[in-house]
Amino acid sequence: MIRLQNIEKSYRHGLSQTFVLRRVNAEIKQGDFVSIMGPSGAGKSTLLHILGMHDSAWTGEYWLHDDPIHQLSAKDRMRLQKQHIGFVFQSYHLLDNLTVYENIDLPLSYRDVKKAEREGMVADILDRFNIVGKKDLFPNQLSGGQQQLVAIARAVVAKPSLILADEPTGNLHSDQGKEIMELFRRLNEAGTTIVQVTHSKENASYGKRVINLKDGWIVDAN
Amino acid sequence: MLIQDIRYALRSFRRAPGFTLVALVTLALGIGGTTAIYSIVDGVLLRPLPYSDPGRILRINRIGATGGLDSFSAADYRDLKKDATSFAALAGFRSDIVDMTGRSEPVRIIGMQTTAAFFDAFDAAPLLGRTYHEATDKPGAAVAVISETTWRQQFGSNPAVIGTQVRLNGAPTEIIGVVPEYLRHPQKSDVWMLSPFDVPTSPFGVDGNDSRDIHYFGVVGRIAHDRQVVEAQQQLKSIGDQIARDQKGNAGSTFRGEPLASSMVADVRTAMLVLLGAVGFVLLIACANVAGLLIARGAARRRELAVRTALGAGRARLIQQLLTESLVLALVGGALGMLVATWTQQLLISLAPENLPRLADVALDWRIAAFALIATIGVGALFGLTPALQSSKPELNTDLKDGGRGGTSRTGLRNVMVVAQVALALVLLIGAGLMLTSFARLRAVDPGFRVTEVVTVELMLPLARFDDTAQRNFYMAVHERLKANPITAQSAMLFPFPFGGGNAQAGLQVIGQPEKPPEQRTSADLYSVSPGYLQTVGVKLLKGRDFNENDGPKSPPVILISESAIKDFGGKDPIGEKVDMGDEFTVIGIVSDARRRSLDTPPRAAVYLPYTQFVLPYMGAVVRTDRGAGAVASAVKTAVAQIDPDLPIGDVKTMEQIIEESTGEPRFRSFLIASFAVLALMLAAVGVYGLISFTVTQRVPEIGVRLALGASPRQVFAQVIGQGLRLAVIGVVLGLVAAAAATTLVRGLLFNTSATDPLVYGSLAALLLAMAALACYVPARRAMRVDPMTALRSE
Repeated sequence: MIRLQNIEKSYRHGLSQTFVLRRVNAEIKQGDFVSIMGPSGAGKSTLLHILGMHDSAWTGEYWLHDDPIHQLSAKDRMRLQKQHIGFVFQSYHLLDNLTVYENIDLPLSYRDVKKAEREGMVADILDRFNIVGKKDLFPNQLSGGQQQLVAIARAVVAKPSLILADEPTGNLHSDQGKEIMELFRRLNEAGTTIVQVTHSKENASYGKRVINLKDGWIVDAN
Repeated sequence: MLIQDIRYALRSFRRAPGFTLVALVTLALGIGGTTAIYSIVDGVLLRPLPYSDPGRILRINRIGATGGLDSFSAADYRDLKKDATSFAALAGFRSDIVDMTGRSEPVRIIGMQTTAAFFDAFDAAPLLGRTYHEATDKPGAAVAVISETTWRQQFGSNPAVIGTQVRLNGAPTEIIGVVPEYLRHPQKSDVWMLSPFDVPTSPFGVDGNDSRDIHYFGVVGRIAHDRQVVEAQQQLKSIGDQIARDQKGNAGSTFRGEPLASSMVADVRTAMLVLLGAVGFVLLIACANVAGLLIARGAARRRELAVRTALGAGRARLIQQLLTESLVLALVGGALGMLVATWTQQLLISLAPENLPRLADVALDWRIAAFALIATIGVGALFGLTPALQSSKPELNTDLKDGGRGGTSRTGLRNVMVVAQVALALVLLIGAGLMLTSFARLRAVDPGFRVTEVVTVELMLPLARFDDTAQRNFYMAVHERLKANPITAQSAMLFPFPFGGGNAQAGLQVIGQPEKPPEQRTSADLYSVSPGYLQTVGVKLLKGRDFNENDGPKSPPVILISESAIKDFGGKDPIGEKVDMGDEFTVIGIVSDARRRSLDTPPRAAVYLPYTQFVLPYMGAVVRTDRGAGAVASAVKTAVAQIDPDLPIGDVKTMEQIIEESTGEPRFRSFLIASFAVLALMLAAVGVYGLISFTVTQRVPEIGVRLALGASPRQVFAQVIGQGLRLAVIGVVLGLVAAAAATTLVRGLLFNTSATDPLVYGSLAALLLAMAALACYVPARRAMRVDPMTALRSE
């Protein structure tokens, strides 16, 4: 599904150049559940944002399915991102001004899905995530776990084949964290490919394999 | 999608009440003020006159040898009428005070005596009855048309008014029609009377004459359908030039035709456009202010916009959403602005000087609503686009991590907005400062006569009932009675009142001095006064004697001259010298100069004649008293009623009122520009405050670090104030340069004031800097009080 060849990212400071990622080669198959681990500053989040196409200033080859992302225009990347990818953030990033329903509806509206169809899809997700009763609440009326649940619902509502999660349980206490990881496992079992960045070995154990990064290099991938 | 964006926009504004309130008040003031002023400019300058094909109606003026506008003489008019083939209609008209009698109470109204083609030129359909026309009504037909107001007020809107006989200035006349209220051009009138001659009757009692020397009426014409305006104007000029060549007295003069609408507003056009420009500045400042607020809000919303992008929103989609928000804000601000415009317009109309032309045409209608809508959408796009373009490019990696905090790179554009606001506000402040200085200097001018405790009463006489002798006898009798009354004991008779419309001049030729051709003689203002005038109004007798009761109609003609006329006497003592002004007059005294036309027109040479020797039916009484206008009015009314019970008295005004009215227009525009400048100053202060306050909020962690590293609160305070003042100084420098360029436009409106007066520039720049420092003070105090521990923990 994903093939990375010699991905590199660096910043230039005058004459010197600081590398954040170096010659990253990796392959992620359809249905995989991959955890990216490593110490702070290793380049984990940077790699995730490259996968999510939030970052375009890098070199190397990135293939998603059979599409060469490294050769595509910003517009085409955006199209593929909308088609395939859902994103979950450590600090949820729900929009404060929108209700739970509207937050979940947002990615569909950006994909020009018709209103009637959107209503059905959002209702289905609310039902699946068991948050129908919270649909008219605003994010600040929810607990951290509930907010992350809504954020995941928002990430999957457009039926992405790939979910990218950046430390999804980082701001949650352990019970809530477990609940979220169980949810990821169920999504993975249903066929969604998941790539998460995590510091927690326990969370990584929900996945099928780990990519370890250090100083921008892949030091161990299994 | 759009509806969703609008809903989200409304909700987000509800959730940010502080931002929304400031933005809406700013926009409402900006859009409302601009719309109100635009409505005045539209009514006065832009709206077409309410006649068919109004662009073809020309006001025709005679331009004298010195380039000034002059009235027409009967002979010039007849020549013009004979040769002006480009015109379908050409009519002479003259405004007059008319006493309408023959019904219950005699009433005094403003009338216009016109030749038969007057309504052909205006082509205005009557409301009732008919108007008179050249083809159907011959001079001498005793007919008149009344205005809608007169019909309503004097005839109770009775349709049977048509055919009614009234006496107008004593002459029996039939009312044949009523014209709608909008027909009030070229001057406001209550009744239009057909002249008994082919020219309007003369105010000097010489009618049907063929004189070229007595200029007393205006001309208006309608250009024929098959002729162009330029063609007609050229023809007027060539006719005028030909008469100037043929007639010695017309040497150097010509005729000029100007579209009626522009001729009416020529005096106020510059002032109106300056006002519109000034309020446009306020609108720009308001835009810059709201744009600054939006940029700050955009910076605080970086996380939200990054999330939206991560969820699939393209840049165009984000721009659409942000622009929708701006437009929603602008539309709500515009709706509030229309309310502000309605109130402001009413206020402006109540404050506007009565002599502002076409004030009655000012209205808030679809034209103004369309302007407000276009302004609103334009404003929404103007203040929304830059922040939208900037905010729609989130840096996902950092913005998602930062959550919209930190990073001051995005304050750059806000700095630009603040600098622009300060610069624009300074231009307005300087404009206002110059206008107010000019106005203060104008009001400080000594007119050369007493202003306090002087009351004037107009006492015009209908020519039909009062010939020269009757006029003289009437005014002498009134004066006798006034002197006998303790309230009006210190009084005199006078023509004309200062700063009024009355006017008479004569070319001075001192006998014994080299003979000058008529056009090179000093043109002296003529006054007709009774004995006691000088003491009553405080004009000083510098030499010789004043008029006395012995200067009667049959005694040798005598005059007083003003200081400015002395130069014509070639260094000789004028007392005892003789002057040729048609007849020979002996100079018996010299008096101090006094202004006659306005405070800003320097005094000209003046000649005073005794009212017994130069009588006009337009005189009035001037009374020095501390008893007030009411007491004077009733004393004069009693005196007049004893002589002629059918004669109403005219306007009663104090000299202070006359001065007040004469400075109405500059006062109005100075007041308006000063109001805009104060508004601009406040908006700029809000802009500076908003930026510095926002910057301080963003820099709390940094300030915490500085304090933790040993910076004193005073140093932090100085740094924050310094940041605001740096921007203000840049704005002030740019504003000074822009003001020096922009104020050349108002140079013509200034009296005794340089458009680059350094005192005005310097003091207002200092005021603006002080205001900016004040605006920085509150956030700077907040920065001083940052607790390093809390700040660092939140980091």
